[in-house]
Amino acid sequence: MVTTLIDQISEDIVETIHESLLVLDSDLKVVLANRSFIDSFNVTREETLGRFIYDLGNKQWDIPKLRELLETILPQETTFDNYEVEHDFATIGRRVMLLNARQIEQATGKERIILLAIEDITERRKIEKGLAKAHEDLKELASELERAARVKSDFLANMSHELRTPLNSIIGFSEVLYDETFGPLNEKQKQYVNNISASGKHLLLLINQILDVAKVEAGKMQLALSILPMKNILDEISLLVLDMVSKKKLKMSLEIAEDLPSIEADELKVKQILYNLISNAVKFTPEGGKIGLRAKRADCGVEIVVWDTGVGVAPENMEKIFEGFFRVNTPYSQVTEGTGLGLPLSRKLVELHGGTLSLESEGLNKGVAVRFVLPVISSEDGFK
Amino acid sequence: MKKKVLVVDDDKNNLMLEKDLLEVAGFEVFEAENASDGIAMAKREKPDIIIMDVRMPKMRGSEAARILRQDKETLDIPIVFVTASVMEEGREELKDIMNSGFIGKPINTRTFAKEVSQFIK
Repeated sequence: MVTTLIDQISEDIVETIHESLLVLDSDLKVVLANRSFIDSFNVTREETLGRFIYDLGNKQWDIPKLRELLETILPQETTFDNYEVEHDFATIGRRVMLLNARQIEQATGKERIILLAIEDITERRKIEKGLAKAHEDLKELASELERAARVKSDFLANMSHELRTPLNSIIGFSEVLYDETFGPLNEKQKQYVNNISASGKHLLLLINQILDVAKVEAGKMQLALSILPMKNILDEISLLVLDMVSKKKLKMSLEIAEDLPSIEADELKVKQILYNLISNAVKFTPEGGKIGLRAKRADCGVEIVVWDTGVGVAPENMEKIFEGFFRVNTPYSQVTEGTGLGLPLSRKLVELHGGTLSLESEGLNKGVAVRFVLPVISSEDGFK
Repeated sequence: MKKKVLVVDDDKNNLMLEKDLLEVAGFEVFEAENASDGIAMAKREKPDIIIMDVRMPKMRGSEAARILRQDKETLDIPIVFVTASVMEEGREELKDIMNSGFIGKPINTRTFAKEVSQFIK
């Protein structure tokens, strides 16, 4: 009675197991095969039970590695785990199987039985192979991208060098002429060489700004962070642009809050941003107009607004203006010097600090306000 | 006594510009159009300072500087690199050269001679 119950439980266990399971007697004949085995290997119970294992499915199971496991390894080891066998079955195709075997001595008599669990890992192997291939592909792609980035960065360094070398002559010689180091010039000559050096310097500014934009985009622009007393910086900049402002007979208004906090930022870049924005305001405001600088404490940083009463920006151009080389198309702006890169570069530099920059304009000829916020502590993103 | 300065640059225009600016400022100027001529002239003339381009064919300015630093006769002569490679990568190769300075191109013609004199002990 007890034996029957245990037999029943054993059979239930064998049937419940998801893996294919065979029980063999000492002659390697199949005593028991579970449902999973029948289903997975597409055989019937009749052609399985009582058969010699190698004869199963028209001798399809006569697999040299299986023979090795059952006849050589198992008698010595009594257990064996994860023995991998690959075999081409006529009915179900090529399969990769993991075999786990246990040899059990029965207490009564000298009979031994063998439990053979067969795990079909064909699909798993396929996925693993796919993953390995994807991994290889990714590695290749990564090194390709790295190479491309290096080529681009070398190209930029070369371009910078190649463009600067002739500019050294253009700006240098025209300045020496203008300074009349080797003899006087007449008025026309002086004006011409001044034009040459001014154009050379404009070209140099363009090259520098293009390189800066490229560097930011390549993630190669590094910030030299320090604690900046913003009030001093703003005072310093407003003094620096005084000359440019008065030359165009503009009125400049300054509203700098007394309680401006110090922020952690790159001093040169902050000055570069302010200078770009203020010189834009000067450039795009006709004589007699007004420009202004407003700064106050913001939620977690400093908010600065540079505004003017100049040519403004049409609503449809508000985003285009950040794409670079955009020129506001008014008769006035066509004669205005500028690279068209100051604003896009300023936005990138603000963003590099973890801040934001936006442009507001009521429309053409209604002036512009550029508002940017620099956080008290620059975000980690800046340290690339 | 006029201070002696040696200018090494493969670009003839740069050479002429720097020579003229330095002569006007009262230096005695020697020129070389490549690094190995520059090394030979440095040994012969023992200048007070050397102005050295970096990117030159055959031998780079940084390599010439290392050779000059290994020679007892030229070991102490200050070297000012004047280079159009102003990006960080360009300065990397110059970092470990003792007693040297850096001026980016394009040079400022109005301050160039003064900048150079500051490197002379």
